[in-house]
Amino acid sequence: MKTLSVILAGAALTLAAGCGGGSSSGGGSGANAGTPVNGGTLLAGIPSNPDHLDPGLTYTNEGWEIVEATNNGLLTFRKAAGGAGSVIVPDIATGLPAPTDGGLVYTFHLRSGVKFSPPVSRQVLPSDFKYSIQRLFKINSGGVGFYTGIVGANAFAAGNASQISGIVANDKAMTISFHLTQPDGTFLEDMALPFAFAMPKGTPYKDISTIPQWRIATGPYRVTDYVPGQKIVLARNPNFTSWTPNTPNGHLNAIDITVGVTPEQSVNETADGQLDWYFENPPPDRLPQLQRQYPNQVFTSATGEIEYFSMNERLYPFNKLAVRQAVNYATDRHALLKLEGGQGSITENIIPPTFGTAYVKHDFYPYDPAKAKALIKSAGVEGARVAVWSLNTDPYPNLAQYMASVLNGIGLNATVKIVDASVYWDLISTEKNDPQIAYNNWSQDFPEGEDFIDVLLNGQNIVNVGNNNQSNADVPAYDKLIDQAKRMPLGNARNAIWARLDAGYSKTNAPWVVFMNAARIKYVSARLHGLVFNPTYYDLFPSMWLSK
Amino acid sequence: MTLEAVQAGATPTGRGGVALAWRRFRRNPTAIGSALVLLLVVLACFPGAPLWVDVACHHGPAFQNINGYVTQNGHRVPVVANDGTPIGPGWRACYLLGADANGRDLMVRLLYGGRVSLEVGFASALVCVGLGLLIGMVSGYLGGFTDSILSRLMDLIWAFPVYLLAVALATSLALGGLAIGPLRVSSTSLAIPILVIAVVYVPYVARPIRGQVISLRRMEFVEAAVAQGAGPVRVMISELTPNVASMTLVMLTLIVANNILTEAALSFLGVGVPILTPSWGNIIQQGYNLIVTAPALTIAPGIAIMLTVVSLNVLGDALRDALDPHSKVRVKV
Repeated sequence: MKTLSVILAGAALTLAAGCGGGSSSGGGSGANAGTPVNGGTLLAGIPSNPDHLDPGLTYTNEGWEIVEATNNGLLTFRKAAGGAGSVIVPDIATGLPAPTDGGLVYTFHLRSGVKFSPPVSRQVLPSDFKYSIQRLFKINSGGVGFYTGIVGANAFAAGNASQISGIVANDKAMTISFHLTQPDGTFLEDMALPFAFAMPKGTPYKDISTIPQWRIATGPYRVTDYVPGQKIVLARNPNFTSWTPNTPNGHLNAIDITVGVTPEQSVNETADGQLDWYFENPPPDRLPQLQRQYPNQVFTSATGEIEYFSMNERLYPFNKLAVRQAVNYATDRHALLKLEGGQGSITENIIPPTFGTAYVKHDFYPYDPAKAKALIKSAGVEGARVAVWSLNTDPYPNLAQYMASVLNGIGLNATVKIVDASVYWDLISTEKNDPQIAYNNWSQDFPEGEDFIDVLLNGQNIVNVGNNNQSNADVPAYDKLIDQAKRMPLGNARNAIWARLDAGYSKTNAPWVVFMNAARIKYVSARLHGLVFNPTYYDLFPSMWLSK
Repeated sequence: MTLEAVQAGATPTGRGGVALAWRRFRRNPTAIGSALVLLLVVLACFPGAPLWVDVACHHGPAFQNINGYVTQNGHRVPVVANDGTPIGPGWRACYLLGADANGRDLMVRLLYGGRVSLEVGFASALVCVGLGLLIGMVSGYLGGFTDSILSRLMDLIWAFPVYLLAVALATSLALGGLAIGPLRVSSTSLAIPILVIAVVYVPYVARPIRGQVISLRRMEFVEAAVAQGAGPVRVMISELTPNVASMTLVMLTLIVANNILTEAALSFLGVGVPILTPSWGNIIQQGYNLIVTAPALTIAPGIAIMLTVVSLNVLGDALRDALDPHSKVRVKV
């Protein structure tokens, strides 16, 4: 659930972890040109603290950018931009395992010689991976859901077992096997997420973000200093030696991240040479000027993120399909895109266009206010009171106001409820507060349809607190189809089901008004090169270099 | 009356308090100027707003025209560009001051927003001064235990920084609204900012009135009324209220100015007037992120607030000088 990162993104645009497809564009002779130079300190800025610097806990894009540079898993997404960056490749494992026993067992062989950073300074062992995944269940990690399909995971989580029986680690043979309760087509993707990165046995069952001796790295960098709210410093890991091209050495000597830099401030400081890189998009109103003035320093990348308004199917008047369809017809998606500063592309699809064959563009709801009004009339809900929820950071209140005008225009009686960003996502995902209609967005955890259709729309996933299915969509026939797809191996057949579900939900259930795939836009210093936007991990620090 | 007339036996007639006050007031050119400015602002916002819509641009403050166009110098210009930049000021009936990010006419919103800001300012000032008068009067006249309780309550409110308390109150009411017994106020009602602003300033009114009442309650005219059998309520209404009326009136004007500023500040922080209702504070808040490319969105309502607040403050001072030249009343917040 990468929505949190979007919350923290604040002013500019939602900075979803975009999947492949579009590689970075712009910058002419800029960021990716020339021969890399080693050395230098990157001056970086982020608007607010990452949630954690603990790979087992962090679930924000800021956090993933940092732990990608410091830690490693058995597998990784290729350290590349665009579609290439969505491909799973071995990292500490020697190769990609083929599932055995009917897709229920995955066995990995580990490389020798991969070492933890000081003070641990020993080889990474299979048992460390087992410990790391078990630790997720002890620290209430938001990522446990990816690993509950391992045999014995639920018993371990409930305290009925001392270990996860379905993870068999053999330190002598350097192998680790995962036994699953049922086939899972995305298991390899799950193993490339930071939650499954190696932590040494004995790492405390608590957040280690602020415990320097337990911020143990395996990657090219390690966090040497962290003052929450002020700074994060990454320096080179003395025990690191690159073992594959998937794990590059890194060019920078150090990365100084200043916490609390606003988007507006970042533009000024980058222009003044005080900042090289900033986490967020530049403010929309500064972008045209930046593109004119610094065409070689502005870069755009496609993301695997959608933005939408979710309509609650349990609450009047959105419990009527005609009303949800009417809102879709009455929404001018071009207007919403303008309110987002034009930083993206319009869409009606649930699945982002960067998801390969799982994305089949559909256009069920051309802008047609007259048809929308007729639907509202036929549903008999004219004058129904509706509150549109939004978080308070720019430009979302403007989106909510637009949506309110759409609803008023088709005969409903809409107001807007603006909630502070720090509590917004928790509030709207709690049944007690269930909004009728709310601004929403979702960025990929990994580039696969399951991460959108199953996580966000499966009726079996509806819960009272932390509910991702905020429309409370519950179509048993589609739930069955989701379960069927989840058991299939990755590939076109599986993607075809996601595409079918995308169209099916949109046309016959209309739980959302999807309106946009956001773009990732960067304004960087003239001396920064090697900018690579990976769909899952975001900007890759080890790829960056500074010209002299 | 001339000296000759008096010498001829005519009885001199004294001027009343109101007449004297008016004479002092109209001899103050700054006061007259500020009153005229305030009158202009009120006229522009109340009859002026619908008039402007009827005559000039034919759409209201809520009309969003993100994908619309206007003609400027013979060219079709989008109201909001593809990069989200709204059109700026120009000589045209519609969008005279430009548009906001949602393609709404800034001039229309400024006029309608002024209505809301003035309404909230005046209404909250009336509630605030009403409550302050009541509490100050009861506290000062009854004294003793009642005074202790009410004074500590005022101390409690006073102990909080005004904006912190206002933000806390407004935020807590933002989701569920206000519900006290059968009284229900929706979170999107204007009554919420009015009540919040009124409550946080009550001590600033109640305390000076209490002090004034304490000095008045031992005076002969009060003792005479009590001796004639007047109860506390009658004494407060008939004897004390007229004696604090000028002070209250002066406070009212100064509190109105202060409350308009507070409304703007709270709306800027997103906890004031509901977002769909234009107010000067809301317009600034919604234009703040476009301050580089569309500065009119913040400058225009800023100027409107400044003109109104300055004229109200000058008017308040002039009223004080006119009504009670020896008064030391100041509202300091």
